Amino acid sequence: MDRLSNVLRRRDLNPEIDEELQFHVDSRIRDNIAAGMTDDEARRDALERFGSRARAREETRDVELIVMLETTAQDLIYALRGLRKRPAFTLVALLTLTLGIGANAAIFTIVRSVLLRPLPFPQSGDLYAISYARPGAPFWLYPGMSDSNYLALRERNDWFEATATFASAPLTLTGAGDAVRVIGATVTPDFFRVLRVNPIAGASFATGDDQPGRNHLVMLGDSLWRGRFGADPSVVNRTITLDGVAYRVVGVLPPGFSYPANAEVWTPLTVRADPHLTFTRPVIGRLKQGVTRHQAQAAFAALATNLTTDDREKLESVAQVTPLKDAVVGDVRRPLSIFMGAVAFVLLIACANVTNLLLMRAVARRQEIATRLALGAGKGRLVRQLMTETALLSLGGGLAGLFVALVGGHALLSLVPTGILPRDAEILADGWVLAFTLAVAVLTAVVLGLVSAFQATRQDLSGALREGPTAATRQSHRLRHALVVAEMALALVLLVGAGLLVKSFLTLRAVDPGFKPQHVMTMTLDLPAPRYRSAFDLTTFHDRLLASLSPLPDVVSAGAVNWLPLGGMLLRGDIVVEDRRPLPRDYIVTKASISPGYFPAMGIRLLDGRNFTDRDGAKAEGVVVISEQVARLIWPKGDAIGKRISLESNPTPQDWLTIVGIVEDVRQGGLTHNVVPAVYRPYSQVTRPFLLNRMTFVVRTAGDPQKIAPMMRSALRSLDKDLAPQSVATMEEVIAGTIAESQFQTRLLSVFSTLALVLAAIGIYGVLAASVVERRREIGIRMALGADKAAVVGLMMRRTMLLTGIGVILGTAGALAVTKVLAKLLFKVTPTDVATFTIAAGVLVVVAVLAGLLPARQASSVDPLIALRAE
Amino acid sequence: MAKHQNDRLQGTLDLVVLKTLESRGPMNGYAISLHISRISESVLRLQEGSLYPALHRMTHAGWLRSEWGASENGRRARFYAITPAGRRQLAAEEKSWADLTGAVARVLRHA
Repeated sequence: MDRLSNVLRRRDLNPEIDEELQFHVDSRIRDNIAAGMTDDEARRDALERFGSRARAREETRDVELIVMLETTAQDLIYALRGLRKRPAFTLVALLTLTLGIGANAAIFTIVRSVLLRPLPFPQSGDLYAISYARPGAPFWLYPGMSDSNYLALRERNDWFEATATFASAPLTLTGAGDAVRVIGATVTPDFFRVLRVNPIAGASFATGDDQPGRNHLVMLGDSLWRGRFGADPSVVNRTITLDGVAYRVVGVLPPGFSYPANAEVWTPLTVRADPHLTFTRPVIGRLKQGVTRHQAQAAFAALATNLTTDDREKLESVAQVTPLKDAVVGDVRRPLSIFMGAVAFVLLIACANVTNLLLMRAVARRQEIATRLALGAGKGRLVRQLMTETALLSLGGGLAGLFVALVGGHALLSLVPTGILPRDAEILADGWVLAFTLAVAVLTAVVLGLVSAFQATRQDLSGALREGPTAATRQSHRLRHALVVAEMALALVLLVGAGLLVKSFLTLRAVDPGFKPQHVMTMTLDLPAPRYRSAFDLTTFHDRLLASLSPLPDVVSAGAVNWLPLGGMLLRGDIVVEDRRPLPRDYIVTKASISPGYFPAMGIRLLDGRNFTDRDGAKAEGVVVISEQVARLIWPKGDAIGKRISLESNPTPQDWLTIVGIVEDVRQGGLTHNVVPAVYRPYSQVTRPFLLNRMTFVVRTAGDPQKIAPMMRSALRSLDKDLAPQSVATMEEVIAGTIAESQFQTRLLSVFSTLALVLAAIGIYGVLAASVVERRREIGIRMALGADKAAVVGLMMRRTMLLTGIGVILGTAGALAVTKVLAKLLFKVTPTDVATFTIAAGVLVVVAVLAGLLPARQASSVDPLIALRAE
Repeated sequence: MAKHQNDRLQGTLDLVVLKTLESRGPMNGYAISLHISRISESVLRLQEGSLYPALHRMTHAGWLRSEWGASENGRRARFYAITPAGRRQLAAEEKSWADLTGAVARVLRHA
């Protein structure tokens, strides 16, 4: 207390005290002089009479301080007592605020971690993604640069301290526990220098570590080091086996470092300019001190025009220097912003609800407040008391909300399918989240407090005292009705948004992929190049595995394909027709290598000609099967069978392949993508190993496909015990994976809109329930005069319908204005879809009617005698 | 504020101030001190500085109301006035004072 008062005393609690004391002393001096004293005598006498000035000041201020603390304590006790006396009100208000604030805190945690927090690298603001690519070009996958362009940039770059490029691919780690798939990144040796990440044991890659022959080096991620190597520092310089090849460990990276793509091991990447096989990879760079992004962008754009001699590429490629964080965060900004907006709506509805509850309480407390005002209580004091109450509610809601966000946030994140949220490993509630939640709670407290205080103190004193509690002011009613209408309008906007996503998701799910995914199990393998080097090694392995899969129980057919439809990867390229007829510009097809069993296993129908057979071997005539689109475009008359095409740009005589069959089109890239024309070859006729080392084995079963999975794994083990499948999943799971993001967005927005709907329903219920209590007397009179129960219910429901009607109109207008933001997330559904708007409005009306029916029925059970006598 | 009621000396000052303001209307602190010393013929000589904590305390207890106004010589001064709650307090204090002095007087007379 002493220390507190000292602290407070320094900040003048009441600067007017000095002025008041000074006035006293000065008056005494003046009177003394008037009585004939000299100036000195007058002053001495005045001070003597006054006593210690300092003591008077201290004691007066202590009074102020004690009063302040006492009133605050009183307000708190009063507020707590008030809240405890009305447990239902307190519980509903707290719960509402908890949900509203909690939802905001949870989404903000994600926004803060993914969008706002800098990347976890030193001086990450200087890191940029450098790209030179044709947006939307056939091979365009992500902003990056081709190998040859990257080499040119690295040579001539003058603005980046260092640049690096990288790729990632899964690898199999053996010899450290069971064989396990790990996510590997191949990076140029400068990679860690660019990011300024230093190993916690051993060293980073050195210049030259990417040279073939000395590049079998690896750096380990912290979690792998702990999980598989017991955090043993002596692992440095030991060798480990990745995909059957020995790599020497050079260092261990610090905990939390997993860039790019949640990598667990890093190996050196060799970048070579190869005119026949060019890769496009992301490029990152760290700006030199003193170079701005604009300078780098301008200089890079100037350099880029010299990178290529191809005029078309020059015209269409875009040179860009983008902050690395933006490149990493990418597309997720829009959905996250939408979710942030959605939870803000939920909070607004929650606030409207609690305000309504407070207004109803204010009506019930009118007499109490009027009495206290009449007895001389200051308005300021009353306002403080009411605000203390709302502050307690809001802060309570804020704390509970934070707890909900921390606990629920984890549940929320576990719903997020892997791979759709960048930086998901970094999500963490930090001080910012705490500050944000507190700020939201304080803001809520202020808004709620002001509304309730304003409403409580503006009422007409004499009126309230004279008429008693039944004479609720019209204004309070109007405000409460406006709040309920606003709640319904906001809820409708969210409902429409969720409805649009649901419809889009259902449309997406109903897309015919071109094959029959039911009863199909898939197992994807990457055969390590060192041990399976030649096309012969690879096809022999595939043949043997297929031979051991076919006889498994319940297997209807078994096949293999190198790029599974919807598998996230595909190989595309152009084709040449033997008669050299011109094809549309940029006409590309997916080129898949398959086994004869593939079409029946996937349920892709043969439309014409024949399927591949075992006789289409390496030495037989080259054959292809084309998809319907290719046949229709190039041979509209239906005479494709027997024609010859080539998959090479400059075919030699043996590159011509005869078309033997036509199959249905398949959505190779994704359900939202257009059907891509396809050309299939038997893998036994493929000679390039890189087209064969990744293969997905597809098995159609008569029963539950899950039952076959363990048998497929054991068949694999008996062929090669060091091979871990990259993935084992039913075809339905593969499809679900491609629409997981859309499903997650749909679920999240549905959760929020349901929350909004429930809150709005509580709001309607509350307002009507209160009006039943207030109109008891009127209802009693009506019933005494002969109105039956149905008439009373109708009377009460008329108000519900009126409020709902206005809410629907405003909500529809609001939804029309804002659903545009969803356009990019929607598949074949317009943001103004009439059916969705209608259904959403219908749902709102039904819920409003149900919420209103309960109090209306209560009204009809009013006993007229009791109601009239109650006054 | 309850503890002050048992404090006789404090209570006396409160009583005198409340009575002064009740009979003379709103006054500033200096005028109150002049009035008290004049009426009591300088018997009640209080340290004038100790008047102010009491005035502030009674204001916060709701017995007094204060506002700034102009004094007779035109300077800004804080004026105090008694509130309805203050009048009730005064009545209670007067009664307890009468009880006390009556009791003391009886003791002096009969002992």
